[in-house]
Amino acid sequence: MNALLGISLILLLGLLSGKIAEKVRTPAITAYLIIGILIGPFSLGFVPESIIAASGLISNFALSFIAFSIGQSFSRGLFHQIGKQVLWISILAAFGAGVFVVVAMRVMGLPLYVALLFGSIATATAPAALIMIIRQYKAKGRFTEILMGVVAIDDAWGLIVFSVCLAFARKIHFNHADSVFQVMLSAFWEIGGSFVLGGIIGWMFSKFSRHIRNERDLLIYTVGTILFTAGLAIHFHLSVLLGCMVLSATIVNVHKESFRFFEVLQTVDWPVYLIFFVLAGANLEINLLVEIGAIGAVYVIVRILGKCLGTYFGAVISNAGSDVKRYMGIAQMPQAGVALGMALIAKSTFPEWGAMIFTTIAATTIIYEIIGPIFVKIALHKANQIPGD
Amino acid sequence: MQVKAIMQSNVRSVKKGTTLGQLLVSFKDFHSFPVVPVVDSEQVLVGTVHIRSFFEIFQPHNQDLLMRNPLSMISREPTDIFNLDIEAEMGFLIIMADIMDTKVVKIEQSADLRKAYDLMQLHGKTAIPVVDDNKRLVGIVSIFDIVMKIFHEKGLI
Repeated sequence: MNALLGISLILLLGLLSGKIAEKVRTPAITAYLIIGILIGPFSLGFVPESIIAASGLISNFALSFIAFSIGQSFSRGLFHQIGKQVLWISILAAFGAGVFVVVAMRVMGLPLYVALLFGSIATATAPAALIMIIRQYKAKGRFTEILMGVVAIDDAWGLIVFSVCLAFARKIHFNHADSVFQVMLSAFWEIGGSFVLGGIIGWMFSKFSRHIRNERDLLIYTVGTILFTAGLAIHFHLSVLLGCMVLSATIVNVHKESFRFFEVLQTVDWPVYLIFFVLAGANLEINLLVEIGAIGAVYVIVRILGKCLGTYFGAVISNAGSDVKRYMGIAQMPQAGVALGMALIAKSTFPEWGAMIFTTIAATTIIYEIIGPIFVKIALHKANQIPGD
Repeated sequence: MQVKAIMQSNVRSVKKGTTLGQLLVSFKDFHSFPVVPVVDSEQVLVGTVHIRSFFEIFQPHNQDLLMRNPLSMISREPTDIFNLDIEAEMGFLIIMADIMDTKVVKIEQSADLRKAYDLMQLHGKTAIPVVDDNKRLVGIVSIFDIVMKIFHEKGLI
């Protein structure tokens, strides 16, 4: 099968699976992942080798877009809108999940850099499943509002934590002969460099955008600049995710009509995400599933324990109600898109442990997407957010 | 030529405190709902209300925050307007400050017509509010106004 036929198959089967997922009230991303597993080289083998080989390129493409879109969360207006309760809960829930998973993975005997990667991936929460449940049961109230805010900002924290941990993991693993100080310096160089890169390009992007006169040019200008940032980040061994997030965070705070850049990107980005998630499924090495049993089980349980404890302390510090303290942790169970993206980066960066990390995250994503909505419903029910319940 | 030479100065705007019910009554005889500027007590433009504003108000609060996450799928699904969570008292409980779009594309009255046209093209709008130097609403300019001006100059009307 040639590459074009392979891509067309991915798009059309992805579309079909998305429609079926809609009928059974499952997020489309989960359906893409399952289709990927089914047509991937470890099952039916419908995805040509040339496309599997291009997974890294497509991942960078998709993750640059995702990071760019999520980076717009870092605007002054948004922080003002979401308020301190959401900020405290989202930060401490991400921190709780991350720390718990790092400690658990170290106890399981995994190397520090692998534990760091697992911990940082554990911070992300998938919004799509949550929205579906909230809409389905017409949930409303203060608890639902805080939960929406937490899930909205959560992926932004997750991407930052992951980028920082990835920098450290890379230095710990590949520069292990260096002293601790050199490892730290090198990691901070990567992180700082990404901030400078995104900041400078973001500022220039805003300045030159006044020459853009129509939507077509705006789209080309936006996509071109995102890829330029990602490309330079790769070239200088910086973080693609941080570079693209800082790019959009700069634009959103410098340019008063920045919303158009994000809106225009949404007209073309979904096919890229669809291919990305189907390929994520195709990359899942089914034979590794038997080996990840204990690690996967510990990850599933410890991540949510960390989320619950982090949420509890966030709620205590910000004086949130008792419902938030008790039930908001379990409502953050779903894990999907961003976590898979992070796991794919880990897979391509660390050949030794990457495949195991990715397979664990992909498998637990499916588990979380099945059991997550049930816990979200329980949390909303307990917090009296479902009318007539 | 400047925008103020052709803009419509007689604009029907609403206040931040105008209720949803008052808005609907006010525009019930229009053949389609226009872009309605929202102003504060000093006539400063603070937002607009457009047809999509009606759908978004019935979505859970804070949902707009999730628009920033492309994987939340929110901005990609058409709103099921036949299944909105509407209650009668919303007519007087919801005010324009709750539903207005604060991401406003506007133009200064002293700006050139071409700039106004480019701005509308860039943002996919057919009309945009016009403001003075103090950001106060002074009118609205549409592509139709610009077309009329050009047609008039060419002798079509």
